[in-house]
Amino acid sequence: METSRFTTSRRGFLGLVGTGAAVAALAACSTGGGGGGASASLKFWNMPWGTPAFNTLDSKITLGYKPESGLPAATYQAIQWANFNQTFSSALASKTGPAISSGGGTQAFQFAKQGFIAPADGLIESWKSNGIYDDFLPGVLDAMKTDAGYVAVPYNLDMRVNWYNKELLEKAGATPPTDWQSYLDAAAALKKIDVYGFAANGNASGGNAFQMIVGLMINNGGGIFDEEHKPNLVTAANIEALEFVRENISKGYMDPAAISYTATNANSQWKAEKFGMGFDVPNLAANVGGASSSQLVVGDPLTSASGKKGALYFPNNIMMYKNTPSQKGSEAFMTYYYQNMKALWTQNTGIGLPVLKSIAATPEFQSDPNAVKIVKMWQPIAKTWAAPGGTALFSNISYVDSTPAISDFGQNVLSGKSAKDALTTFQSTLTSLIKD
Amino acid sequence: MTSTSIAESVKRARRGVGPAGAGRKPGPAPAARARKRFTPRTWTLIAFAAPSLILLLLLNVYPLVYALIQALHDGTLLETGPFVGLKNFGDVLAQPSFWSETSFTVVFTVVGVFGSWLVGLALSLLLRTHIPAGGLFKVLLLLPWIVPTVVSATSWNWLVATPQSPLPVIAEHLGFGNVLFLADPMLAQVVVCLFKVWISFPFMMMMMSSALASVDTNVYEAAKVDGATGWQSFRLITLPLIARTTFVSWILMTIFCVNDFPTIFLLTGGGPAHATTSLVLLAYLTVFQNFQTGPGVAIAFLMTFVLVVISVVLYRQIRKVNVE
Repeated sequence: METSRFTTSRRGFLGLVGTGAAVAALAACSTGGGGGGASASLKFWNMPWGTPAFNTLDSKITLGYKPESGLPAATYQAIQWANFNQTFSSALASKTGPAISSGGGTQAFQFAKQGFIAPADGLIESWKSNGIYDDFLPGVLDAMKTDAGYVAVPYNLDMRVNWYNKELLEKAGATPPTDWQSYLDAAAALKKIDVYGFAANGNASGGNAFQMIVGLMINNGGGIFDEEHKPNLVTAANIEALEFVRENISKGYMDPAAISYTATNANSQWKAEKFGMGFDVPNLAANVGGASSSQLVVGDPLTSASGKKGALYFPNNIMMYKNTPSQKGSEAFMTYYYQNMKALWTQNTGIGLPVLKSIAATPEFQSDPNAVKIVKMWQPIAKTWAAPGGTALFSNISYVDSTPAISDFGQNVLSGKSAKDALTTFQSTLTSLIKD
Repeated sequence: MTSTSIAESVKRARRGVGPAGAGRKPGPAPAARARKRFTPRTWTLIAFAAPSLILLLLLNVYPLVYALIQALHDGTLLETGPFVGLKNFGDVLAQPSFWSETSFTVVFTVVGVFGSWLVGLALSLLLRTHIPAGGLFKVLLLLPWIVPTVVSATSWNWLVATPQSPLPVIAEHLGFGNVLFLADPMLAQVVVCLFKVWISFPFMMMMMSSALASVDTNVYEAAKVDGATGWQSFRLITLPLIARTTFVSWILMTIFCVNDFPTIFLLTGGGPAHATTSLVLLAYLTVFQNFQTGPGVAIAFLMTFVLVVISVVLYRQIRKVNVE
């Protein structure tokens, strides 16, 4: 039998294995390069804000960026919502994170507190001369301003607004509500035709009833945080708002199974015309689909029991990180992106409401009367989680942004717990969570 | 023949399955064997295996040590934070919600393990009989285990979530009124446990089928000659002979149930009002939504400790079965 000329001794083989292991270990221990490094490109991580077409088009816009000489080019990465907190945290801790990203609504404020965010003050100042600054809808930039400056730039808006099914309302002989009392009247009329007038989805992980409830608290001049950014929940305004919710529940205007509904379950109920009125997301009609979607109409902002108007909105944003190959490059890319992102709305990729007036004025956007009404009538009166104490977000808001604490609060309210008890429990939970 | 004498006959028959009187095999004395254990060849083999072993050790030990560090600190996902000793463990154990979630986890695990075992065993016994298209049935029965949990959880949600879903409609037609399968805390617990049994029984069925296939049919014939009834054969022959596999499957299913995140998260999200929150879900929510890394990891460690204790107890049962 012929033997190979390339024989290896046992000792040689062991040496080879050892060398391989050492190389692997060294490779594992080395830094991943991150967003930094002189010749590195600029990493832009964006979330799936709409349909799959969103990230395709977004990638195209990003890769179409032609930097000035000496500035880095941009790369694109879509980041899934699943475990996004962990994705960003581990990437930042290992210095392999992006130079620019979107993400959770309060993410920038958390990371700014931990020193990872590059303030956007210089960028926003530069936008005063090219028209972008003046193009923002009123108030949205203010939501990003902290004591340390702007930690992010508004990107798209989410909001909780009043929707109703116009056909069902007509069938019930009711008129669209304009205040809380007329809302109760319309819900009573809907009940007579076996339709629920207070739509809700309270599922612990897939529902957002707590956003609707906080929206009503803000509507009545209340909210979660005071001027010192401390939770201050047991107030007359909040109790009155929760009594309004309880009245809807006790009078049978809410589906008793709603406490377990995910947003998808609720959409099914809207589609089945079992839900006739409620507070939901701006793109509810598209989410519901089918014949019912054309019947869904955004109502006017309601006047609360205390005579106030208000709603909850979420300014989703884009942030710049300190771990960048070039801060000048990051800012140049941001300017390019904001000047070229219009197609994400005009091509109906499913992204939230625009933050720029020029996009809201496009014929494509103007063709959706519901979206136009939200921008025109709801956005000016909407407030962030920081209400009633302030407008700008801050890091501790992460404790109420879709957390177990606020989800429990929503479930407590929907399950009929008294307004004061539900608020006191929530206050106590938040106080124990927020350490500074 | 009395039941006791049948039992003795069965024990004799079971002993007779292996070679009788098996003792220490002839060979060198233990001291000589120990001297021979570390030959140059042995060292070479150890050296070959060492890189993989070291890598495995690092992959397992590093996360464990890192997790322990986090459990002993008051940190976040980004920072380790100050050292707080066992405070996180104390805080977790002092929370009333921890104990309510523990009790649900126990119920979920007990129902999941024994429910799926009973169904799996019954089906594996049924599939041993000559039923037409038995192979097809076997494949169909495996579907709940094969189908991704996200799909089956969505299907179950569709079955029960709204009053217009099929099961609530049937319940209403049967005169039970508007049954809130996921909105009522007790019913939601029942649904989650049933769902767990449903997705787990195929695994048990496979385990039990393989155990039953290894049982020598001569033992049954011997017992039948001795006058054993079907129940006596099942209790005194089948169950003891598949005991080893049963204990192994109980250990595995206990681990699967205690660590089961997607079943609950996708079906109820832990609600309503925490009724279906298990410990693994609580650990996830504590770390990734409340940003309390220390307490969340402490919960995970407590779960691991309990799992190790359960596994050791069941493993001792396996050894006991082997000795018998």
